[in-house]
Amino acid sequence: MSRNKSLVIAITDLRMAMKARYVRYSLIGVAALGPVVAIVTIIGLLMTVPATSSEFGQMLSLVMPMGSAMLSLMAVIPAGLISANALVGEREQNTLEPLLATPLTDRELILGKALSSIIPCVLLLISGTAVSSVVIYLFTVFNGLPPVLFPDLPGLFLILVVGPTVVVAIVAMMILISGRVSRVYEAYQTGTAAVAVLLVPIVAPSIGLTDPRSVWLFDLITFAVALVLAAVAWYFAVRFFNRDAMVSRV
Amino acid sequence: MDRVKTEGLTKIFGDIIAVNKIDLAVPEGSVFGLLGPNGAGKSTTVRLLCTLLRPTEGTAIVSGHDIRDEPLAVRQTTGLLPEEGSHTLYPRMSAYRNLEYFAKLYGIPDKDIPGRIEELLRFMGLWERRDDPAGELSTGNRQRLALCRAILHSPTVALLDEPTASLDPIAAKRVRELILSLAREYGITFFINSHNLAEVQRICDRVAIIDHGKILLAGETEEIRSQLGTGRVFRVRVVGDPSAALSVAESAEFVEEARLDDNTLVVKVRDPEANNSRLMMMLIERGVRILEFAQEEMSLEDVYLAVVDGGED
Ligand SMILES: Nc1ncnc2c1ncn2[C@@H]1O[C@H](COP(=O)(O)OP(=O)(O)O)[C@@H](O)[C@H]1O
Ligand SMILES: [Mg+2]
Repeated sequence: MSRNKSLVIAITDLRMAMKARYVRYSLIGVAALGPVVAIVTIIGLLMTVPATSSEFGQMLSLVMPMGSAMLSLMAVIPAGLISANALVGEREQNTLEPLLATPLTDRELILGKALSSIIPCVLLLISGTAVSSVVIYLFTVFNGLPPVLFPDLPGLFLILVVGPTVVVAIVAMMILISGRVSRVYEAYQTGTAAVAVLLVPIVAPSIGLTDPRSVWLFDLITFAVALVLAAVAWYFAVRFFNRDAMVSRV
Repeated sequence: MDRVKTEGLTKIFGDIIAVNKIDLAVPEGSVFGLLGPNGAGKSTTVRLLCTLLRPTEGTAIVSGHDIRDEPLAVRQTTGLLPEEGSHTLYPRMSAYRNLEYFAKLYGIPDKDIPGRIEELLRFMGLWERRDDPAGELSTGNRQRLALCRAILHSPTVALLDEPTASLDPIAAKRVRELILSLAREYGITFFINSHNLAEVQRICDRVAIIDHGKILLAGETEEIRSQLGTGRVFRVRVVGDPSAALSVAESAEFVEEARLDDNTLVVKVRDPEANNSRLMMMLIERGVRILEFAQEEMSLEDVYLAVVDGGED
């Protein structure tokens, strides 16, 4: 019952988000950009070294973690846009009051609004990974390079575990601030700050920290930070969820 | 049985007391009007009643449920047409989808949803418009769609916040007629906020006047109108020239106001039970021949202006 209503909210929010032109274009744009960036980074850098040299392996250990991190970064960015729309957007549009007047529990409402961002982002992560993986594999094979399986294990962890955790953190932050800001862009700017944690695994390899141990280390640090952020933001979002604040003027 | 009953209901925002210890009772089946100027606290009252806001003090029983303790049950049995209702629809979704979304959120069984939506859209004369995006409907049609949404789940009480405020006179009339027929057809108790006196007088059988968060007056519309009308203003028709009658009235210390209106003397008498007969005697003594001595009907507007001005400080 409760999951059902949350799902109704999530699906309707998504359908409406896709009807707003700027959301649709940025979603599609970002969705396409993730795999493109990952593919270009990986293929581009791999082509700068001869396939047979030992440098190829080194280059691979540099580009694989960067590619995965960029892919998850790109897929996570729309979360802020969708959830800012789903919460503050409803307020801006004056549609929040009738919604809050329905017999939804706080839990159903929060879950519904969270799912409307989490579902598309997870879909973007999965589809972006699948596309990049196929393109990179085929490219390496057809060009006589050693076949490259993207993403590697730490990359998969970053994309499928850390990415969704960051999405949860962003959504929770958005819920937390939704009663305190009145404009979508304000919410978007504040709520999306959490994506910054994904810069760690992008920056780390480029300053030379490319051995598998430090890649894992930085992925795990990113995960820990994202997890703490998500847990704390979620706790406060639920704890201080306040219909009064959402209805009141800011 | 009272469908809405408030007990010392109070809402304070910072240092503004928006709703100040109000006690109201709205019996089942009535069309109740909460009348007051802008900023009087009408919208805040409605938001408290549908649990969008939590009271600072006091409480209310709506459809038999306490707004503090059973907000879900209150929301399940109460409908809301928010202020500026025509702007509270999802503009890019069709009229039908707007209702379908809320039907699901109100927990109407899936199999009953299409029938219920069709019934209401036909009732409101919107069935032909069902596939139009809500944002492309006229303001009047949007308002009717928002009214459909408010009663979709067959609430026992519908709270309507200024249902005709932004409508042209014809659209407003249509909405008023729909409200009355909804009350008849579906037995819904209506709680209507308005600053439109004529509207309240026309459709509400009970009324309360609110200003600065306080209820100044409450009761049956007719009763309030006649109660305040009694013992105040009288019209005296005389045979021939009324100027002698006017000078008599002006000389009487218990007459607060005297003027001529179309050859009729209009007097405002203090304590009419004691003084009306004295006035008549004085007129007769001066040779004025009285044709008619009648109480002037007060409109709700007079009542409203009298109490709202009186309640200013
Ligand atoms: N969320 C809010 N925060 C602060 N003040 C408010 C809020 N809502 C209403 N008020 C104030 O409470 C008073 C009553 O407002 P309202 O209930 O909207 O009046 P009405 O609907 O009768 O015009 C006004 O002074 C208004 O400024
Ligand atoms: Mg109002």
